[in-house]
Amino acid sequence: MKTKLTLRDFSLLFSLLVIGTFFALAAPQFLSSRNLSMLAVELAITATLALGMLLVILPGHIDLSVGSGVGLMGGIASVLIFNHHWPAGAAIAVSVTVALLLWMAMGSLIVRQRIPAFIITLGGLLIFKGAFWLVIGSRTIPVVAGGQSNLYSLLTTFYLPPVASGGLVALVFAGLVLLNLRARRRRSALGFAVDDAEIAFLKLFLTAQGLLLFVLTVNQFRGIPLPVVILGCVALVIQVITRHTPFGRHLYAIGGNEEAAFVSGVPVQRTVIGAFTLLGGIVAVTGLMQTAYAGASTTTVGDSMELDAIAACVIGGTSLRGGRGSVLGVIFGALIMACLLNGMTLLAVAPEMKFIVRGVVLTLAVWMDVKLAKR
Amino acid sequence: MPALLEARSITKRFPGVTALREVSFDLRPGEIHALCGENGAGKSTLIKLLSGLHSHGSYEGELFFDGAPAQFASIADAQHTGLAVIYQELALVDELTVAENLFLGCEPRRGVLIDWDRIWRDGRALLARVGLDLAPDTLVGDLGVGSKQLVEIAKALSKNARILILDEPTAALAEREVDTLLELLRDLRRRGIACIYISHKLDEVFAVADRITVLRDGATITTLQSSATNKNEVIRAMVGREITELFPRHTSHPGEVLLSVDDLCAAAVKGGPARLHHISFELRAGEVLGIGGLMGAGRTELLMHLFGAWGVRLNGHVQLGGRPFEAASPVAALAAGLVLASEDRKRYGLILAESIGFNLSLSSLTRLRRGALIDEEREAHANQGLFSSLQVKAPSLETAVGTLSGGNQQKVVLGKALMTEPRVVFLDEPTRGIDVGAKLEVYTLVNELTAQGKAVVLVSSELPELLGMSDRILMLHDGRVGGAFTKPEATPERLLAAAMGRTLTAA
Repeated sequence: MKTKLTLRDFSLLFSLLVIGTFFALAAPQFLSSRNLSMLAVELAITATLALGMLLVILPGHIDLSVGSGVGLMGGIASVLIFNHHWPAGAAIAVSVTVALLLWMAMGSLIVRQRIPAFIITLGGLLIFKGAFWLVIGSRTIPVVAGGQSNLYSLLTTFYLPPVASGGLVALVFAGLVLLNLRARRRRSALGFAVDDAEIAFLKLFLTAQGLLLFVLTVNQFRGIPLPVVILGCVALVIQVITRHTPFGRHLYAIGGNEEAAFVSGVPVQRTVIGAFTLLGGIVAVTGLMQTAYAGASTTTVGDSMELDAIAACVIGGTSLRGGRGSVLGVIFGALIMACLLNGMTLLAVAPEMKFIVRGVVLTLAVWMDVKLAKR
Repeated sequence: MPALLEARSITKRFPGVTALREVSFDLRPGEIHALCGENGAGKSTLIKLLSGLHSHGSYEGELFFDGAPAQFASIADAQHTGLAVIYQELALVDELTVAENLFLGCEPRRGVLIDWDRIWRDGRALLARVGLDLAPDTLVGDLGVGSKQLVEIAKALSKNARILILDEPTAALAEREVDTLLELLRDLRRRGIACIYISHKLDEVFAVADRITVLRDGATITTLQSSATNKNEVIRAMVGREITELFPRHTSHPGEVLLSVDDLCAAAVKGGPARLHHISFELRAGEVLGIGGLMGAGRTELLMHLFGAWGVRLNGHVQLGGRPFEAASPVAALAAGLVLASEDRKRYGLILAESIGFNLSLSSLTRLRRGALIDEEREAHANQGLFSSLQVKAPSLETAVGTLSGGNQQKVVLGKALMTEPRVVFLDEPTRGIDVGAKLEVYTLVNELTAQGKAVVLVSSELPELLGMSDRILMLHDGRVGGAFTKPEATPERLLAAAMGRTLTAA
């Protein structure tokens, strides 16, 4: 598969720089290590959910229910811990299991009964929202009793100490370099096109700069926040799944041409159900992080997160018709969405304007993508 | 006589390739001019250029229409001038009526409202012009391919087209529909409408064309008067060599029975009417069973059903390799050693946006695993092997399949099937829309497969191909076996009679 960055990825990088520069000038605290650490947590939450969304958009489906699901899964864990005094680990396990089962059920309905995912997950959106409010009794349920901490609350309050952070980043970079070299050697052995050595070096160099800047900044605050590590793991797993397993290839094939995939022996139904089930697990993880970040389950947790997830995918170059999209693109898309939200909050932009700006950016991004694709 | 349309030393370059090199071509008023050439010879590029899809300025050389320089900026521009292209993939809306389709985009109006009276009245007149006896409010989705083609032509006539360009118009037509179409073209010629006719079927070309231009490797090889030449000369010009053997079938030594079908009945959906009735046949290792019949006789349905991709079985026993077999899905069929290469490449065969490599290995990914991951080294070698042995003409394995010519796409479909290492291979119209050279390669492949002890079912609409490549032939008629023939018994007359549900008494 292709390893080189495309013009589209650069257009994302460019947009990101423009947005970042704007906020840095308009609100100096945007670049403070404290704010960038918060931004990293917010990015991690949005990007994790968006990567899950990628799994169902690739085969040409969609999921509108993830926002409600985020609230519900966080809520189930909160209630078990705060009202019923369960240990955090067990409560988290229940949330994840419930999510896996619910999403497997939705996936099965979609492929076996041939009901469009849009309808099934619209139903899910409403049902999960209601179930969420029932579960928490429409009250505020903290993730942990006052003043203490548990596995749940630590999800967003734990930071890797600076030394460990530096070590982890160095390790990640070394891994990237090794993989890159191996891929280059393999591709040229097979006679495939590879990037010029200068370009390959430049990309790695830019990556190293980015990583270094990131770790130096967050280390000035408390180190790498745990959600970023979680995002890293989720991204790695999904990258491997989509690019290096039959299941992942099948996702692209189904999105590209479902009938041809079926006749080619792709287990279409099993694959789509699998994608939804995986998404369910990711919804639970996101729900736990988002609720922990808010500190408590309240009726608004998860509101409109499905839209941010879909927007991140689309901004990152994912085709809603299926068959096209990448992990790196989605992370960039989420980064743009997270920067916008964070920056606007710092500037105390009215909520009304926030919605409008997000909508405009989404539209612009898709327009730009279509323009670039035509060239 | 001045040319109606003329292309003068046209050169068209794409990144990396020169698709057309100094090509010249002229079309006289009221002439049918056939364009012949192998896949990748540049026919499609030339058509795209003439029809405005490649706009003026994207190529070198000049176009003239009616003696004046023509610079088409778009398809609409070319249409406006009087050129209409009838594409292989028909551009009709199934959900609308015939008349609505005819006036799609240029509906007659009275004020702001559509003038329905005129649509029905003019629609009926247009249909009569192309000899279609149809109510104008028939849904296009209910028509066969042949009628759709005629509706397309009617649509072009409604826009006052003076030149019709037909790209492989008969690829999906039954014999009688072909005759209707050719008769219509002759009729239009009498009324002064010129036609550029692209086809791989030389019989048709000679039946209808006044002149024949042959392209090869992006260059004009020759333009011949069809009355003063013959098929061999045209084929020679197309391939640049003489093809001595059109159907190089080697006689086989059939082995054990690999597939047996006994009294099979099947319907499209549960509780629906049966579409396949009491079909029985046997297929032995190392032999080619040809299956023929008219459009809609149930050939594709039979293959797709056995492959687990169509319908519900109502009755009958199927055995594969001596064991009872009923594929619930293509996944099960592939696991049992059965593979199908579909007639409809774009719909059932390929993921067009993906690369050649992606498509080649798609059916074999689970076998190319190491642990949970795809063994990419092994995959690349398997892909490379087929890529070179099938001689797919493309820059690399990473080229998107959608950019390939029909023959090369077909090679990718076949390569994907071969990589599964099947015992029984179903080929549904494997040579549809591909040129003589590529056909020969497909036939050679069939011989190789049977030599390896594999069994091949070859569905074809072309009688010469069925007769030339099959060891035995089964003709289907209306979902039933119309007749079964061994090679010596099979004659074109008998096969045709069986396809039409009659038996011809032995002569």
